[in-house]
Amino acid sequence: MASNDRGRFDDSEDEEDFNPAPADMSEDEDRNDGSSRARDSSPNRRQEADEDEDDEPAPARSRRTHDEDEEEEEDEEEEEEPRRRHDDDDEDEEEDDEDEDDVQQGHRRKRQRDRRNAFIDIEAEVDDEDEGEDEEKDGEEIEDFIIDNAHPDDLAESSRLDDDRRHRELDRRREMESSMDAEKQAEILRQRYGNRRPGKSFGDSAVVPKRLLLPSVDDPSIWAVRCKEGKEREVVMSIMKRVEERRGTKDELAITAAFERGGPDSVMKSFVYVETQRQTDILVALDGILNVYPHSKLTLVDIKDMPELLRVTKTPTLEPGAWVRLRRPPKHSGDLAQVIDVTENGLEARVRFIPRLDYGMRDEALSAVTADGKRKRPPGMGPRPPQRLFSEIEARKRHPRHIQGNPTTNTWTYMGEEFENGFQVKDVKIQQLVVTDVNPSLEEVTRFASGADDGTENLDLKALAASLKDSNTLVTYLPGDIIEVYAGEQRGVVGRATNVQGDIVTMFVTEGDLKGQSIEVPIKGLRKRFKIGDHVKVIGGSKFQDEVGTVVKISEDRVTLLTDQTNNEVTVFSKDLREASDIGGQGSLGQYELHDLVQLDPTTVGCIVKVDRESLVVLDQFGDTRQVMPSQIPNKLPKRKQAVAADREGSEIRLDDVVKEFSGQQRQGKIIHIHRSYVFLHTHATNENAGVFVTKASMVNTIAAKGGRVNAAASGPDLTTMNPALKIHKNGTENKPLTKQFGRDRAINQTVIIKKGAYKGLLGIVKDTTDTHARVELHTKNKTITVPRDCLNFKDKNTGINIDINGRGRPAPGGAGRGSGDRVPGWQGGSRTPMGSGGADRVPAWGSRTPAQGGRTPAWKGQDYSGSRTPAWADGSRTVNPYDGSRTAYGSGSRTPAWQAGARTPAPGDAFGAGSRTPAYAGGGGGESWSSGSKTPAWGVSAPTPGASESWGYTPGAATSSAYDAPTPGGAMSAPTPGALSAPTPGAYNAPTPGVAPTPAGGWQGGWGGTDSAPTPAAGAPTPSASGYGGYSAPTPSAYGAPETPAASGPRYTDDD
Amino acid sequence: MSSFVTPGQQRYLRACMVCSIVMTYSRFRDEGCPNCEEFLHLIGSQDQIESCTSQVFEGLITLANPAKSWVAKWQRLDGYVPGVYAIKVSGQLPDEIRSSLEDEYRIQYIPRDGTQTEADA
Repeated sequence: MASNDRGRFDDSEDEEDFNPAPADMSEDEDRNDGSSRARDSSPNRRQEADEDEDDEPAPARSRRTHDEDEEEEEDEEEEEEPRRRHDDDDEDEEEDDEDEDDVQQGHRRKRQRDRRNAFIDIEAEVDDEDEGEDEEKDGEEIEDFIIDNAHPDDLAESSRLDDDRRHRELDRRREMESSMDAEKQAEILRQRYGNRRPGKSFGDSAVVPKRLLLPSVDDPSIWAVRCKEGKEREVVMSIMKRVEERRGTKDELAITAAFERGGPDSVMKSFVYVETQRQTDILVALDGILNVYPHSKLTLVDIKDMPELLRVTKTPTLEPGAWVRLRRPPKHSGDLAQVIDVTENGLEARVRFIPRLDYGMRDEALSAVTADGKRKRPPGMGPRPPQRLFSEIEARKRHPRHIQGNPTTNTWTYMGEEFENGFQVKDVKIQQLVVTDVNPSLEEVTRFASGADDGTENLDLKALAASLKDSNTLVTYLPGDIIEVYAGEQRGVVGRATNVQGDIVTMFVTEGDLKGQSIEVPIKGLRKRFKIGDHVKVIGGSKFQDEVGTVVKISEDRVTLLTDQTNNEVTVFSKDLREASDIGGQGSLGQYELHDLVQLDPTTVGCIVKVDRESLVVLDQFGDTRQVMPSQIPNKLPKRKQAVAADREGSEIRLDDVVKEFSGQQRQGKIIHIHRSYVFLHTHATNENAGVFVTKASMVNTIAAKGGRVNAAASGPDLTTMNPALKIHKNGTENKPLTKQFGRDRAINQTVIIKKGAYKGLLGIVKDTTDTHARVELHTKNKTITVPRDCLNFKDKNTGINIDINGRGRPAPGGAGRGSGDRVPGWQGGSRTPMGSGGADRVPAWGSRTPAQGGRTPAWKGQDYSGSRTPAWADGSRTVNPYDGSRTAYGSGSRTPAWQAGARTPAPGDAFGAGSRTPAYAGGGGGESWSSGSKTPAWGVSAPTPGASESWGYTPGAATSSAYDAPTPGGAMSAPTPGALSAPTPGAYNAPTPGVAPTPAGGWQGGWGGTDSAPTPAAGAPTPSASGYGGYSAPTPSAYGAPETPAASGPRYTDDD
Repeated sequence: MSSFVTPGQQRYLRACMVCSIVMTYSRFRDEGCPNCEEFLHLIGSQDQIESCTSQVFEGLITLANPAKSWVAKWQRLDGYVPGVYAIKVSGQLPDEIRSSLEDEYRIQYIPRDGTQTEADA
């Protein structure tokens, strides 16, 4: 295979000198030619083979066929064509000629450059120039020579070409070659190209399209060999070492190349790839090399996959303004930084970030000297200082010498670091920067934005978008999302996501040409699509997370929305948005929702009027709003649907009633909560505090009750409050609980028996009570139950009899007072009747009564010493009886028994005893009456009135018998005391009996009359009485009185019975 | 003059931005780029080395036989000296060097940082 080797050698030389791609081609050809010739000695056969290959599909296609194709394409370029043909032809021929001399070599170089022209227009032109130069310098000969050469090549390559021309050219070329001075030619060419060889080879290589370099079956195959992860580079280096060691020896390695694509994130890690013709070469090459395992399974890489192994994706270049994260220094690891500038070669970037300075605050700790006298560095950095903008003042405090700078530009150098406008500025190698998946949050970014010189927000959303675009990891698409393709061939396609699998989204196209089809698109070129007016929710990536709002503006992938809660416009990326189904403003935070009633402290409640992401705004019962964290709320109060309050008019108000403030702003609202005396109202009239306000229940008037409930106010006045009788009773009952509230409940500790219910009949002791219920500890079993109070019978502990615990401790005076109270009307009623029956004469009677009353008191006093009256009683009672029958006035009165009853008392005893007792009796009742102011008039009015009226009434009636008149006042005087009813009547008759009596009576009255004006008539009265006595008294009573007394006593007894 | 670099020295490795050969800094300084020295003039020039070679590269290739290897062909390394090359070299040549390459030496410079991948494919 001498020719083969030769050809290869030449080729490699060529490649160094010239365009590698053509060289490669030529090499290929050479090899092909060589081998084919060696086998067949027939170039034509190779051509046929090539043509056959031409028909075959891509991978197996040789570059040769490509060449042909291109040449055919460029046939139109007539001028170049011949030369090219010549070149190719020449090449073939030269393989034979190459051993000739340098001249050949030189030719070849030139031709190869020409041949390269076939592939690239630009280069072709350049080469044309070159060629032009060549031609100028070389003269016509070369030109001709080239032309000559082109023809045979065409002939060889394509049957379409003109054979004639080719042959002519070939002939001419040969002629020329032979005629040309080889030495001279070589000299010229060397002179021209000698110093450019590597450059040319490089430049040429760049212009061969990759698709012409695709591997073919002739190329060595690539095997994947397992190796230890992370050791790929070392393995490759070891292979390199072995290759070099054995080069030129008989053990020379047969592998042509080995490579790795390791790296922590690479899918090709833990493999090295070895390129060789034969698999067995791999074992030889890798045997004994550490960390690689050639004896494990070797994987042959498919030819069509080979380019993929070497695929290079561009690392996104850093642009000024882009966001990156720092890897180093460790103090700033993970911190966000902004690229200010990138060096020309793209390997270093100037970034700014927020410094973490402690301004020497921890120097002492760091420089602490340990026991052995050495200064010990703490192992780590310790807690790193927080991010804060550089402060010159702080820096000067401790390190005044380490800071220098320019205050006007606000640039400083402090401890060897540069600071501008508070930011630290540093040149960082891009290896130390995290460029992908930066995901700067808006909070972080805004710190940079707000740090602008003039304080204005100069947030570069575009740069931010660029930084975020790289990181699609966070973007989530859900079936149903409306998405749009914004990159790639399908750009502009809009559809609905139907399926998401990994990085591939299946979308159903809804707009455009592809409408109705389902296509699969990579997530990379997708973005969500919204329309203005869409209701969306921010789902992540910014501080506006969870805000809900309406889209108002869309600019590329930036969406501006108007939030529901705050009515602010916020701008976020569309990837952070999702169609929102829920209504904004109704957000809830944990268990707390808008308008919930919560307990703030034991005495304060509040209504939630705003729900933020992390806090709540609460309107408390006093009308103050405060912001609280959910954790500060001890309790949420459940909505009490049954809660009732009374409005200002006493009408009951319940939840959902519409009420209006009575005073103040007269706001109207619907009740959403009732808490004790406070009502929380909601109105749509204002959005302050979400329309919630609080007021006292007593400060509102009902406007509309929910469901048209009938209010107490609407049902008319409460009759129960207008009935005095009930009212009295009510008052009485009302007072009772009042008094009861003092002290402990009497029921406690009482033994009770349960009257009703499941525990009926059981005995127990009351342990505790409320107004309505009692806790009863049962005797029968160790259990304390709650029973209504009205189910209890209180028993005496000892006797077991029913007792009334309430009556028991009632004070005696109270009972007496009530008794007297009851009695009073009784008296009045009794006495009043006769008074009513009194005739027109009552007026004087009234007038006279006054003295009668006044006289009564002395009558009392006189009671002891006026013997006259007492007998008058006794006598009167006796004497009256006979007169009763005769006197209509007497008979008319049912008073007779009453009178007898009154007389009864004296009856048993002697007149004196009776007399004395009567007043005593009266004293028993009346004494107290007198003492009680209220009763005095009652007595005075009642008792005397009958007596007086009757006596006076009689007086005119008995005008004929003046004798009657006289005793009347006397009786009036004495009678009132015992009983108003009986006393006067007998008194009227009694008086006459002792003739003496009137006299004292008159004296009294006279005495009284002196003191009072009233006595005058009284005084007048006795006078006739005295006179009257003279006539009547002696005969009537005295004569009949005695015998009748028993008679009188007789009926008295019967009355008694 | 071995291309082998011990792991300890690998931190000093740099890749030529033109031909992507990987060597240590000191070798670049002492010997220059074996393929590109003619126009990069790296020998002894620290500035030139730093601007024309990159510390940032991915994927190592041991090129034992540049002529026969398809990998070399694909990577456009055929014609270069055997040695260790990088698959991807980040960084770009300074503009003046690049323009002088193209004007003076008629070389079309193709960056090896992946920018041309799509164009070629």
